[in-house]
Amino acid sequence: MSVAVIEICDVTCKYDTVKVLEEVNFKIRRGSFTGIIGPNGSGKSTLLKIISKALKPNRGTVWLNEQNIYHLKAQAIAQQMAVVPQETVISFPFLVKEVVMMGRSPYLGLWQAEGKRDYVICHQAMQLTNTLPLANRPVTTLSGGEKQRVIIAQALTQEPEVLLLDEPTSHLDINHQLEIMELLQRLNQEQKLTIVAVFHDLNLAAQYCDQIILLHQGKIYALGKPEEVLIKKNIQEVYQTKVLIEKHSLTGRPYLTLLPGNIFLTAQKARLKNKHIHVICGGGAGTNILRFLVSQGYTITAGVLNKGDVDLETAKTLDITVIEEAPFMPVSQASHCLNLEMIQKADACLVACIPFGHGNIKNLEAVAFALEKGKPVFFMEENENDIALRDYTEGKAEKLYQDLIKKGAYPLSDTESIHTFFA
Amino acid sequence: MGQILKWRLIFIALLLLLFLIIMGCLTIGPAPGSILNVFLILARNILGLTFFKPEERWSSTFETIIFAVRLPRLILAALVGAALASAGVVLQGLLKNPLADPYILGISSGAALGATLAILLGLGSSLFGSYTLPAMAFIGAIITIFIVYNISRVGQQVPMGNLLLAGIAVGAFFSALVTLVMVFSGKDLHAVIFWLMGGLANRGWGHVKAILPYFLVGIIPIYLTRRKLNLLLLGEEAAQHLGVEVETLKVILLGAVTLMVAASVSMSGIIGFVGLIIPHIFRLLVGPDHRILLPVSALGGAIFLVLMDTLARTAAAPLEIPVGVITALWGGPFFIYLLRKKKGTVGF
Repeated sequence: MSVAVIEICDVTCKYDTVKVLEEVNFKIRRGSFTGIIGPNGSGKSTLLKIISKALKPNRGTVWLNEQNIYHLKAQAIAQQMAVVPQETVISFPFLVKEVVMMGRSPYLGLWQAEGKRDYVICHQAMQLTNTLPLANRPVTTLSGGEKQRVIIAQALTQEPEVLLLDEPTSHLDINHQLEIMELLQRLNQEQKLTIVAVFHDLNLAAQYCDQIILLHQGKIYALGKPEEVLIKKNIQEVYQTKVLIEKHSLTGRPYLTLLPGNIFLTAQKARLKNKHIHVICGGGAGTNILRFLVSQGYTITAGVLNKGDVDLETAKTLDITVIEEAPFMPVSQASHCLNLEMIQKADACLVACIPFGHGNIKNLEAVAFALEKGKPVFFMEENENDIALRDYTEGKAEKLYQDLIKKGAYPLSDTESIHTFFA
Repeated sequence: MGQILKWRLIFIALLLLLFLIIMGCLTIGPAPGSILNVFLILARNILGLTFFKPEERWSSTFETIIFAVRLPRLILAALVGAALASAGVVLQGLLKNPLADPYILGISSGAALGATLAILLGLGSSLFGSYTLPAMAFIGAIITIFIVYNISRVGQQVPMGNLLLAGIAVGAFFSALVTLVMVFSGKDLHAVIFWLMGGLANRGWGHVKAILPYFLVGIIPIYLTRRKLNLLLLGEEAAQHLGVEVETLKVILLGAVTLMVAASVSMSGIIGFVGLIIPHIFRLLVGPDHRILLPVSALGGAIFLVLMDTLARTAAAPLEIPVGVITALWGGPFFIYLLRKKKGTVGF
């Protein structure tokens, strides 16, 4: 048996004159879990329809186990490949077990009734999908998640090598989404089922697939492992949307966060874009502050941060200009000067609730410079006047801090109140 | 496993019921007779049993009435009822439309046009002997479906929505033609109206023999593909993914239904309601699975039409009430009763 269970060769598909797919070529490895992603209209559902022979492309072919699907009978295909649609509307009150049993029909002749083996296979499929308790209920009474599991059970009774799914979770709540995805993962790993699914939820695709195909305007834009395909450049180019891409803290897979409010420039944002705030942070204390201010539309810079600092990583994903220092090194004179230059340009300066030591005391001195230049300075405090607890310079930082408060720096307990200053 | 046994029992029970009802209905009429005598007449004529002396038990006129007049008429009623009900089941499933009946694709209008033309052109028995009228109706029906099918075809495919709309449009057009022709019909108007109302009066063995081949050619493929019809209820794409050659199946089913319905209409005129209501009644009773729905609807349709036809010929004797009127008078209220009692949906 060849490694590729499905091979898509040079597929081009048009609706009237509009090209939906253009010269698409790829192979699906036996036992893989492949996700097809792309924005609306990129051709992902069309591609799935072509693989399942529901649609004939204008050019090109699909090979299933080295056989051209256009030379195969529907019955022969159904024995190798099952399809789970986005949503199945069954308006007739068939019982769940009857619907599942329909999956056996590719194996039954015209005169043949279901035999013992068919019942065993049905039972197993229902066990795997946890639909046995539903067996005697009419499908018309099921919820979306239950029905989707029943349809997957039906697909499994076809004993397929390949399972095709079109946005299998798009109509489901998050708990049911996970349930279906975990089920698919189990089928992929334990039953060695090859899975090809269209997703519009990029994170679901990232978490569960081992191969991702990113479609863009009918062509394959990128193909590979999730961490190779789901990179900022690709998403920005294909979806025209700014996202944050981090590593999921549990699975290590890429995790995308949408940056809301980046598409339409509201009047407020347009105004705030001219407000430049310089943020002094470090050690993760600035992460939420940076995200909040960027999402509100402010122009943000930060510094001085050591390489490897969490806040530096965050700032980079947010495209913030940062004054950098070598790892674990105190702020050098050179960096300090750059920092002062940045502050000079800024309209205000915000200091996160960070500890001060000999390494970063220079940053506090930079704040003093800001105040001298007449720029508003804000200090974030977790508890009122808690600087003493954050001072690791034998009182030097605390004294400077109290001094700055006296000269007119504002202590703040939450970032949002900075708005009131600029609004 | 238990279910299949249950289905078989229901089927056998209905078959038995149909037989008993036909026997019972044979005795009813202006020349009444006992069930035993009727049974013996059938035994003598069909099985050739002659261990008894007929002339001591009944007159030869009575034997003629039973065997040559009432029996063929009842068998014809059973065949037409079975054909219309099965066609209704298939079309409701195929079109996924609860309002579908055997005439929805325009078969009845086409047949009516054929029949009306035969009456008004005074073809009499010039073309096909005494079967000129049914033959014209049959030809009209087949031509109609041919037109409807070709209007709705897109490349290799026949979308069911197109078929439905084309059927309704062509049907309406032909109905209008029938009405137009009737305006100019003069003294033949009565004959046309009577044919349109549907009835089985004066039908004999010849009619049974004429319809039987079409009935068999129609019912056998339908019966064999009834599991695939279940899959079609999940949608055409889903059916294809479960191994059904959808377009082929549609052509087979449409062909089968057309032959059965066209043959029925040509023999009996337009009997409404059987093909619409019987499938719904049995869907409420046995569920949507065509493996049982189809055979029981066929038997149910047969039983229903046998009873209704007997009522039609005896209720106001010697006047015959058109059987189509009786089917609607009985079927309508009974269906409403079932719908209320079951409180369920019809399955659509």
